Amino acid sequence: MIQFQFIVAFLMIALGIYAFLAKRNLLKLVLALNIIDSGIHLLLISLGYRMELNEVPTAPIYTGYETLKSPMVGPLPQALVLTSIVIGVCVLSLAVALTINAYRHYGTLDVRALRRLRG
Amino acid sequence: MNGETILPYLIIVPLFGAFSMPIISLAGRKAREAWAVIISGITLLVGSAVFHSVYENGPMLYTLGAKSPFGKANFPVRIVWEVDLLSALMVLMVTLVAFLAVLYSLGYMKHDTGLDKYYTLILILELGMLGIAITGDLFNFYVFLEIMSIASYALVAFRNDTWEGIEAGIKYMFVGSIASSLVLLGIALLYGQYGTLTMGYLAVKIAQNPTVVAKVALAFFIAGLLFKSGASPVHMWLADAHPAAPSSISAMLSGLVIKIGGVYALARILFSIYGSSVNMKTVGWVIIIFACITLIVGNAMAVIQTDMKRLLAYSSVGQIGYILLGIGIGLAAYGSRTGDIALAGAIYHTFNHALMKALLFLIAGAVIHELGTRNLNELSGLAKTMPKTTFAFLIGAAAIVGLPPLNGFASKWLIYESSAMFNPILATIAVIGTAFCTAAYVRVLYTFFGKPSEKVMNARDPDATMLWPMIILALAIIVMGLFPWQISDKVMIPVAKALENQLGYIATLMGGA
Amino acid sequence: MNDFDMGVIVRTAARATIPLIGIFGAYVVMHGHLTPGGGFQGGATIAGAGILFLIAFGLGEMKKRYNKHLYSALEGVGGLVFLGAAMLGIGTAFFYNTLWHNGPFFNGKPGTLLSAGFLPIMNLAVGLKVFTGLVSALTAIALWRRWKS
Repeated sequence: MIQFQFIVAFLMIALGIYAFLAKRNLLKLVLALNIIDSGIHLLLISLGYRMELNEVPTAPIYTGYETLKSPMVGPLPQALVLTSIVIGVCVLSLAVALTINAYRHYGTLDVRALRRLRG
Repeated sequence: MNGETILPYLIIVPLFGAFSMPIISLAGRKAREAWAVIISGITLLVGSAVFHSVYENGPMLYTLGAKSPFGKANFPVRIVWEVDLLSALMVLMVTLVAFLAVLYSLGYMKHDTGLDKYYTLILILELGMLGIAITGDLFNFYVFLEIMSIASYALVAFRNDTWEGIEAGIKYMFVGSIASSLVLLGIALLYGQYGTLTMGYLAVKIAQNPTVVAKVALAFFIAGLLFKSGASPVHMWLADAHPAAPSSISAMLSGLVIKIGGVYALARILFSIYGSSVNMKTVGWVIIIFACITLIVGNAMAVIQTDMKRLLAYSSVGQIGYILLGIGIGLAAYGSRTGDIALAGAIYHTFNHALMKALLFLIAGAVIHELGTRNLNELSGLAKTMPKTTFAFLIGAAAIVGLPPLNGFASKWLIYESSAMFNPILATIAVIGTAFCTAAYVRVLYTFFGKPSEKVMNARDPDATMLWPMIILALAIIVMGLFPWQISDKVMIPVAKALENQLGYIATLMGGA
Repeated sequence: MNDFDMGVIVRTAARATIPLIGIFGAYVVMHGHLTPGGGFQGGATIAGAGILFLIAFGLGEMKKRYNKHLYSALEGVGGLVFLGAAMLGIGTAFFYNTLWHNGPFFNGKPGTLLSAGFLPIMNLAVGLKVFTGLVSALTAIALWRRWKS
């Protein structure tokens, strides 16, 4: 079976990197960062489904795991992704705050204007 | 009291300080400043205790949430903190410089507003760096890396009424976030392949089954962490961000953040996780090539700067080049005596450079505080009116160039010696870099001792809270310079051997069963 | 004129939905150890109610209800409670769940509300911290909008 989720995840990462390199608006760059992060989150989440009941070690679930024989989603990637989302929110709010400040000082959201530091 | 009981306080104390800072701030300015100094002072005490314990008793393992890292399984499942000698040395360095930076901020940030947030952020920055140094879990490492990075983005843009801080903050934030995403992608790939995040156990799994995915992940780690350490093709953010921050923060960024978040993490991943499971010669040469470019570009760009802090920032880029060169040679000549010496030199230089660059940035801050400018053309003749500051600068500059009685000499000598043994061309490149570095600092000193301009006549040496951190750092540089080979034999060579000893790192983790 | 007010329809609808959003967020926080959810998700939901208030009633009304020092201090309290809960079992290890293993409360049967040791306490603390933090951030961003006038 083709693992569509991995393809989508890497497509999202590639899309984010393309947007990051090609776009010139600060807000679009912030969105590009978030798209890259979302791609990585998708990758991590899909790893949690793929791995269960294989030989590879998984996070232990203490209640009822031993008796369960059907496929099961690993809880560890979800915890990782949640942590990563929280970090993403922090970065996002800081980025928006800085963008607002940049607009105050430069009067534009074009990154090409942010070139006063030279040398 | 053994080391394991005090280790969590390394995280608890700064976290407690940061969380209680908004509440303490309600009691007024004096309480807030005293609180910041007390918290960072206690952290320094804990850090030295941890270093002492590790130095005496060997590496320690701390499991979060239980007594042992093994659950009901036969492999480690919990988050662990693993402190070997290198981590302990980094902990000591971080706590020392952070304490001095907090002390210095009392005088330096006197005229700024929003200081409760400033002190909260500076404690969180310290916390993130300590976490990176002690962690033994890959995702925990990423979380601490992000804590450190977000705090430093905010601190670079702290003076948001100037365009300079905002522009530097935005550049730093975009580059840093991309680098963090690369690191996270590497972690995700490793987790997908091996299903564990504990560094020691990951080392076992990679050694059993080195796959292509692991090598791709390594490429992502190297790329992301070279971004974070400011290596040469991507060093532009560093030269913008470090000068724009307040000087106490510049001292921490240049002295600590690029080393802990970049070089230390790179060394930990390369040596402790991958170790001999990848072709070390190839990886070592990749690092060496980046190191040589960094070394030449950083030092050469430092020569042509007219802005004092920008000069220091480019000089940091150059010194990171030396450290990376040591690590690269240590990797390429793994196991031989050359590798040991190179690695010891790199670690020694990391520690020395933290002290020297912190001192130089604090001096730059004192000059800005007195004169309001950092343009070298306007600072002529500063030696007459700020003699103590100039003397401290003289010591810092001599140490960073590598003059014999000071500590920079020993570490640079180790790097030259090992690179000459490894490949003479590298030694030549290193010496050329030092020549550029000397030119840059001689130019600053020439300005300081030149004919006084009328602008500097009103300047005075700064008051006690700003002067004492500089004096302490200068004294540390001199004292460390008096015993170069003793420190090298007693501390740095064992540290290098501890880093090279991948089996010991794994045994520390798995032995606690 | 009350600036950036969204009009009477939106205000009425907001008045009706804000309590419901708040209650749902509180539910998510309280059942964080039993259901998918927890401190961050619930706190973000409650902060959504705060943001709806800000948008529907305008910045002027928000400024009357919002006290910067109080929110900042509450955020600190949330963090301190989290840290204190983590330190309860410091005798064994940092983050050791001593309430779950030894009692005296929150050690009921798994799956009931009063179980899971320090997790409910931590969820409440994180919920408080996230709610105050997000509302503070959004209010600060909304305040910055008007630097020119």
